Amino acid sequence: MTTPTLADLDRARDVALDLSGWGRRFVFYQPRNFAFWGYLALVGIGVHTFLSTLTREYNAYGEAIGLAVTSFAIYAALFWWFTDRIDHYAKLPHKLMVVAFLWGGFAATGAMAVNANDAILALYAKTFGQVWALNWGAGLAAPFNEEVAKGSGLLLLIALAQRHIRTAFDGFILGAFIGLGFQIVEDITYAMTSAGTQFGANQIGASVSTIVLRMVSGVAAHILYSAIFCAGVVYLLGRPAEPRKIGRGLLLIAIPMLLHGTWDSLAAIAGPSALTLIGLLIATVVVALIIVARVYRLTVTRERDFVRDVLAPEQARNVITPVELDAMAGNRKARKAYRKANRSRRERRRARYILNAAYALADELAAARGADTDRVRFARSEVGRIRAGIPSPW
Amino acid sequence: MPDPETEVSSAASAPRFEPDERWVPADERRFGLDRRTLRPTLAVFALVFVMSVVLPVINATVPYHDRVRAGDVMEIEGDVTFVPEAGWGITSGLRASHAPLSGAYPATATVEDGAMKFTLRTGSFHGDADKLLDQIETTSDALNRGRGVHVTGAPTTIVTDQGKQGATVRVTGPHTAGVIAAFVFDSRGVEAVATGPSDAGSEPSTAVLRMIGSVSHSAEGK
Repeated sequence: MTTPTLADLDRARDVALDLSGWGRRFVFYQPRNFAFWGYLALVGIGVHTFLSTLTREYNAYGEAIGLAVTSFAIYAALFWWFTDRIDHYAKLPHKLMVVAFLWGGFAATGAMAVNANDAILALYAKTFGQVWALNWGAGLAAPFNEEVAKGSGLLLLIALAQRHIRTAFDGFILGAFIGLGFQIVEDITYAMTSAGTQFGANQIGASVSTIVLRMVSGVAAHILYSAIFCAGVVYLLGRPAEPRKIGRGLLLIAIPMLLHGTWDSLAAIAGPSALTLIGLLIATVVVALIIVARVYRLTVTRERDFVRDVLAPEQARNVITPVELDAMAGNRKARKAYRKANRSRRERRRARYILNAAYALADELAAARGADTDRVRFARSEVGRIRAGIPSPW
Repeated sequence: MPDPETEVSSAASAPRFEPDERWVPADERRFGLDRRTLRPTLAVFALVFVMSVVLPVINATVPYHDRVRAGDVMEIEGDVTFVPEAGWGITSGLRASHAPLSGAYPATATVEDGAMKFTLRTGSFHGDADKLLDQIETTSDALNRGRGVHVTGAPTTIVTDQGKQGATVRVTGPHTAGVIAAFVFDSRGVEAVATGPSDAGSEPSTAVLRMIGSVSHSAEGK
């Protein structure tokens, strides 16, 4: 086997950057893009619907709405941070994440799922009776309406960001943000509804249990479902960096629907036993978390390969070591093992800083499309400075 | 591994040119738009149309067939029941002894007869029937902001067949008129709302009064 030359490695880097779309700037305002107008119209309708409800109900349930919006804003910030953090390979632009969040929060809810849910639940009650509808209606309406409403947003996002959304992992991350938006708006709506359950009296007491329950159960709900669903959509459609795999795509689309349906039918499955219900709740959350972890591992491999391809020339130029390259293109365990390999605490801390600086170098290289720009050279010098233990002059 | 000392870097000093994100190849333009973005957007529009227009229209055209039979009793959360009028349609809520698998009855039940609608709703409430009626009025005013249905006249007392005393008040709106009745069983509030077209008169029908009178709480009679 012949050793690749630096020119080979640089070419492989260019290919990886082209394929991944990593580092490309995302422009939202695209008047010649039909998806831009479609997105704007549907999110606009959703925003109008949500704000109309909020302003109408605020007069009556202001306290509960204030509590719900504040609580879920903090909750959203935590999930935002977490989801952004797991996207630390070939990163997507933050602007695109905001666009995904808004689709989930407003278009998927107000312009799509709410209308379909209400209609289907009523049709179930008319066709199969009120008892059947109460038992199974939600579990056989929401998984289809809501997952399709959220997932369809990815079609528009792909049309809006054809050069960015290239892998199933991109679908996974954007799906998580779509789910986060949906979850937050749905949670606020649930809190508003529960504020009225005691005729508008004791609003905080009436809504706080809903808020807590939604926060706890939200760990394995819309964010997770949409992440898996949207990874499936990318596999189903195929993208430049992700060959079409129809079977895998359909499976990943079906799994969150099944999880969602099970979750919504838990009360009926468990029956009147509260203990069985709690047991099933925990089991469903655990199964969902195991599945999402597997889908993450399945989809992230390609992103790690991109990191390796982008940074291999840097390793060849002795900017980073082979061990550092392995840690950067590896999983969390690999990075932890790399840090722990250093003896003293100070060395371990420095090892962490070196990795962070090298990731920053990778981002600069991606933004420069692999060119040797001033920003790239500076990012490279930062890796050397930290390695040498020289304090920052800045 | 290549020797960095001897090998010359092939990396360019300036990024390769990439067309602007908004640029559309000349052969991909249709009506000034990027042809490639038409299909996915139309597919999403089709989904929106099905979910927000087709399904609600189908639902609106399908009538409720579930009619109240003589002897039926409706039950809502907290062991609260009422006897609906025979022949009225059940649009939400469950009959007593027809609990869902979870065993928990919903908090509301609605029966309808043409434009007449009767809804019974329950929730936790600390206070008496007058306070509950005040609370309902306050919340309703805050939600409607002077528009829609509002209370007219002074509250009066109403007594159920079970002997439970409650408070009732007339309501009117631009096109509707009706009555609200409030009861509190222990710490469980119950609100009965009956509305119909305003041209049918402001007096509640005997059917509505019978349904309000039939409201009961199983723990109360024990």
